[in-house]
Amino acid sequence: MDFYFGLLQIFGVHTLLGLSAYVVLLTGQVSMAQAGFYAIGAYTAGAGTAMFGIHILPAIIVAGLVTAVIACIVGFPALRVKGLMLVVATLAFGEMVRLFFFNLTWQVDRGGELVGPNGAEGFRSIRYFPEHGWEVWHVTAFIWAVVIVVMVALWWVDRTRAGAVLRAVGHDETAAQSIGLNLTAVKVGAMTAGGFIAGLGGGIYAHTVTHIEHGVFGVLLATFAIAYPILGGLGSVFGTVIAVLFIQGFLIEGLRFLGDWRSLLFGALIVLAMNLRPTGLLGEHAPRWFRRRKTGSEPLELKEAN
Amino acid sequence: MKLKSLITAGMISASALALSSAAFAADKTVRIVGFGASSGVVGIFGQNSGAAMSAAFEKINAEGGITLADGSKAMIETEYYDDRCNAEEGISVLRRIASTDALVAIGPTCSNVAEPLFGILQAKVDDAGDTGLQFPVFTDVAIKGGLAGISEWVFRNTPSEAKMYDDLFAWIRETYPDAKTIYGGVEEDFAHSRFTWYSVMKTAAEAHGFELVGEAQWLLNDTNFSNQARGMRRAEPDVVAISAHPFTSCGMLREMARQKIQPKVLVGLTSSSSLETLSGCANEAQGIIIPTSFAPVNDEAKAAAEAVAAKGGALDLHSAAAWENAMILRDVINAAGIEGTPDTLEADRRKIRDGLAALTTAHGLLGENKRMPDGEAVKPYVFVHAQGNAWEVVHNPGS
Repeated sequence: MDFYFGLLQIFGVHTLLGLSAYVVLLTGQVSMAQAGFYAIGAYTAGAGTAMFGIHILPAIIVAGLVTAVIACIVGFPALRVKGLMLVVATLAFGEMVRLFFFNLTWQVDRGGELVGPNGAEGFRSIRYFPEHGWEVWHVTAFIWAVVIVVMVALWWVDRTRAGAVLRAVGHDETAAQSIGLNLTAVKVGAMTAGGFIAGLGGGIYAHTVTHIEHGVFGVLLATFAIAYPILGGLGSVFGTVIAVLFIQGFLIEGLRFLGDWRSLLFGALIVLAMNLRPTGLLGEHAPRWFRRRKTGSEPLELKEAN
Repeated sequence: MKLKSLITAGMISASALALSSAAFAADKTVRIVGFGASSGVVGIFGQNSGAAMSAAFEKINAEGGITLADGSKAMIETEYYDDRCNAEEGISVLRRIASTDALVAIGPTCSNVAEPLFGILQAKVDDAGDTGLQFPVFTDVAIKGGLAGISEWVFRNTPSEAKMYDDLFAWIRETYPDAKTIYGGVEEDFAHSRFTWYSVMKTAAEAHGFELVGEAQWLLNDTNFSNQARGMRRAEPDVVAISAHPFTSCGMLREMARQKIQPKVLVGLTSSSSLETLSGCANEAQGIIIPTSFAPVNDEAKAAAEAVAAKGGALDLHSAAAWENAMILRDVINAAGIEGTPDTLEADRRKIRDGLAALTTAHGLLGENKRMPDGEAVKPYVFVHAQGNAWEVVHNPGS
């Protein structure tokens, strides 16, 4: 049973990573910085519990806040550029973060053992969960509690004026600006929110694997981060979850028995999925059964200007 | 007459029972599972380990299998899981293995998988406050120093690089008295190669009086080494030590040949004493000296190499450890008296762990391996150098 709980843990942390990119993608921006934010969250939360002995919950919240502040600072200059230039700028930021942790050595003595980031050799002994008596299912429940809180928050935001503003900027920046929206504030806000979610995800990730190193937070992870919401569809937060289940559950875990063929099929099946469902597995709209349940006022949607 | 019938019936019943017991014993199996990187850049290591394990268990089964606590025999079943050298996948694979009836796992390949993987295991046996996974892991390939100390459920049969390189540089000092300076090249983003250069090779070289005149760094995916080689050429070192895996070792060696860099001594990383280096750059690698815990220098090692080759793999210092692990586990299981039933699975795993922990020596392909209290091993080794299309022993410190 622990194996399935372990899988659910992977789904959970990857869902947070995907949702961090989802928020930014709503504004039409493609950010490759999410792996960098994830790394900042991982190292910060890891330092919180392993080096300073604080509880996991404040540790991941602090990690989220620290990452959000950095995302906000990065967002101002980075979001002045668009399209491919933004991809390059955020990619460069992600690599900068990775190389920072590649060179960071900062260890403290905890019970006669040096604990903390040790350059390229990584950060070992982030063992909060087993050392505090958490069973595997406890960890899984904790992760999914965080994921559900984040999903509900994003779902709620999506149904408010703030969500409509995000989508408005994503649909047509010029039109959005012409109705008085502050593009920089919206984009930086989305980047900050995405940073917070990535920080939470990274913080939890560090504790599920107990050892982190710079190499994990590379371009591949950044690609996965934006692949989840794009593959799942930007209509709602559920698209990201479906994409995580498809990639992590089916392509990676389900096809493990195929050995070498798995990597080949991995790419082919993603291409196939994108061709069959070009707007994502769940499309650009929220699942119908969710929309039917909505009573009262209709969700705010921006109609494209003719 | 009645008595005779009863005796006959009793004999027939006993014979039938004995026959059915024998048939039942022959059907008994235990599972020992391997895992590691069998795809991707370092996939060849996992493929060789998988082949070595498969060949070793086939040999054990052909010799009668293992003996259970009740004296019956059981065959060993095995399979190999691919973790693609990815930490998350490695953890997932181990959890999957632990959720089956497997008694013990052999793996992983990559040190960057081993380190987080060992972290999810219970650190101290019988520590009720630690809810880490309680499952024995016997590592064959991941060689970065000091990893077994992370958990008491972890045992490694990887050689001690610190000891090997210390002896190697002492031997170079003695054999090449004119060599004074050394230049290091390191594959910077791979845990094993980086650790080995900065914490092992460099320390050993300086301890034996070599002056470090420069260092060059590159990454696992790099394909251009001209800048690094240029720096090396300018320094004119007597000894060049390359701490990199076969793929970039070959790239660097080719660039060194192109720039006509010819040190008196060329030293390589343990993992490069493999077929991949020879098939990738045999000409450029001529003379490179590497310490290794496997070479086909005796009949047993030669037979093992042939058996693994028949399975489509190659025996090198890593896959030889997988072979040895299989043999060591056979002996441990035979001595531990495991039941091999679903009800005793947890107890059987614990007996295997305790059996491995109790070992002070174990039989290896090159001789006796010392088993250390922290779960590590100190194995016999030789120095080999590339000659033609083969690795030849240039010095045997044990002889």
